Amino acid sequence: MLKISSKCMYFLQVSIIAFMLSACSSLKITDEIVPSDGVQGITISKKSKATQIILDSATIYFEYDSSRLSSESIKTLKDVVELMKTDKAMTLSLQGHADERGTREYNLALGQRRSESVSSYLIASGLSNSRMEAISYGEERPLILGSDESSWQKNRRVEIK
Amino acid sequence: MNKVALFSALFFSVCGLSDLRLEIKKGTIDPINIAIYEINNKSNISKTIGDVLRGDLIRTGEFKIIDGVEIVQLFDEKSVFNFKGWKMLNLDYVVIPEIDFPDNSSVNLRYRVFDVVLEKEIRASKIFGLRSNLRQIGHFASDGIFESILGFPGVASTKIMYVNYSNFNDEETYKLFISDSDGFNRKLLLQSPYPIISPAWSPDSKEVAYVSFETGKASVYIQNVSTGRRNLVLKKNTQVSSPSWSPNGKFLAITIHEGGNPEIYILKLKDKSLTRLTNHYSIDTEANWSAKGNKIMFTSSRSGTPQLYEINLRSIGKNPKRITYEGDYNARGSYLPDGNGYVFVHRSSEGNFHIALKYRRESFARILTEARLDESPSVSPNGSMIVYAVSEDGINKLSILNINGAQFDLPSSEGMVREPAWSGLVR
Repeated sequence: MLKISSKCMYFLQVSIIAFMLSACSSLKITDEIVPSDGVQGITISKKSKATQIILDSATIYFEYDSSRLSSESIKTLKDVVELMKTDKAMTLSLQGHADERGTREYNLALGQRRSESVSSYLIASGLSNSRMEAISYGEERPLILGSDESSWQKNRRVEIK
Repeated sequence: MNKVALFSALFFSVCGLSDLRLEIKKGTIDPINIAIYEINNKSNISKTIGDVLRGDLIRTGEFKIIDGVEIVQLFDEKSVFNFKGWKMLNLDYVVIPEIDFPDNSSVNLRYRVFDVVLEKEIRASKIFGLRSNLRQIGHFASDGIFESILGFPGVASTKIMYVNYSNFNDEETYKLFISDSDGFNRKLLLQSPYPIISPAWSPDSKEVAYVSFETGKASVYIQNVSTGRRNLVLKKNTQVSSPSWSPNGKFLAITIHEGGNPEIYILKLKDKSLTRLTNHYSIDTEANWSAKGNKIMFTSSRSGTPQLYEINLRSIGKNPKRITYEGDYNARGSYLPDGNGYVFVHRSSEGNFHIALKYRRESFARILTEARLDESPSVSPNGSMIVYAVSEDGINKLSILNINGAQFDLPSSEGMVREPAWSGLVR
């Protein structure tokens, strides 16, 4: 929107300069273009409840120190691909996480690898990479507090939002 | 020289509030016996300074404070200091402090240190400071006494930075604090609802770098400690993290997470130019600069598990050298100040994470800690102590380990404390 209005300003300026230049002579020859005022707006709507429910249940889980997708994860991601193909405007935030074990920076990198491996799968399935952003919270945003394998399992994940 | 340093320290010290509480867990086996002779002035001011001084000396793990030296006459019959009397008390050193007040706002602390065995005075110093900053006067005296006896600088006057996390009614708050090395005198540098990780001091301790998630992804900021002014160091669409300063303060080693492949770069702060250091499809992160500035250590998973590697900056592009082989997890290494070794996080065969130390002359790592999830070791600038975070049963606290064996805890009075970073020397 902002870009288009500045274009209008540009044309306005050009015509004013043309007018000023020609003002001193007797013959006025002007050449103007009125740009089309076509404006392309973008609406970001909340994902529908149904979509939200599918995405909420599409959290992808990983093994310790791994960013490999399991066959179960791939099944889940296929549903996400279908959803994205139906709703062409939908964009995704892929948020990678790690469990609390190990160092924070390594886990930040690990979470990033996890979200990128989800994003790679989606791109390989024909979706445009401009429709998704892969980020990581490392171990900073655990889903479950607790220092045992059952908590860690749930924290090694990529959430799709 | 000392005066200038003291004044610059005055800028961030008003109250004596403590967040972290000191608990002594373990002392050394063979401490040095030292006595502090109370010569004059039982005022509150001299008591405060005296308490800080004693606490500092005990915390070094090197000293045992012997009370009751005042029962011995200060001078013998020849009007010289009573070394014989001190020897009878089994003292190794005696400190004689003296306090006076040049005006209403300032304090002069003079102190002399005597070697009882050699029967000679080994230090006579004067510290000038403001009454609003009594604790730092005590810390300066402690560091001077430490240095005169041990031969290398004390770190009581240095600072510790740490992240405090709290969650009340599902409202998460992250606070970046700095405090004195004994946990007192804490100051808030940054408060945020978004995670803050990886705080790092600049070599002159005037600036700090850290990772904040406030824009939705990890980014590195540099903040001036005394002015609070801060800058995003590198505008990027990808995550940027893990800052480590070069010893001359002109460069920052950082990790750029491009397309899920984190690589380490050196960022020149002046013109923001980047030099790529690593080039591998595995995880490369957690750079740490050696004190001499010629080497960088980092964590890489290129062998299949996280291990420490080292790059000589004179030969960038050559294969980094792997330096740890103990078990399947060695990460977040940092060099000892003398470069003779490094500390890191090591995963034991039982699957617990401990702080480990490896000397270059040795082929094995020493496991220094024993909780289940120890992390974020940071070495004091004199190389004598390691501060690290302990996470056990949902409790996070800081612990300080002396290489001579003594250990202290700094549990927080509120929230969880993590990611301690020890400043450089400030005296």
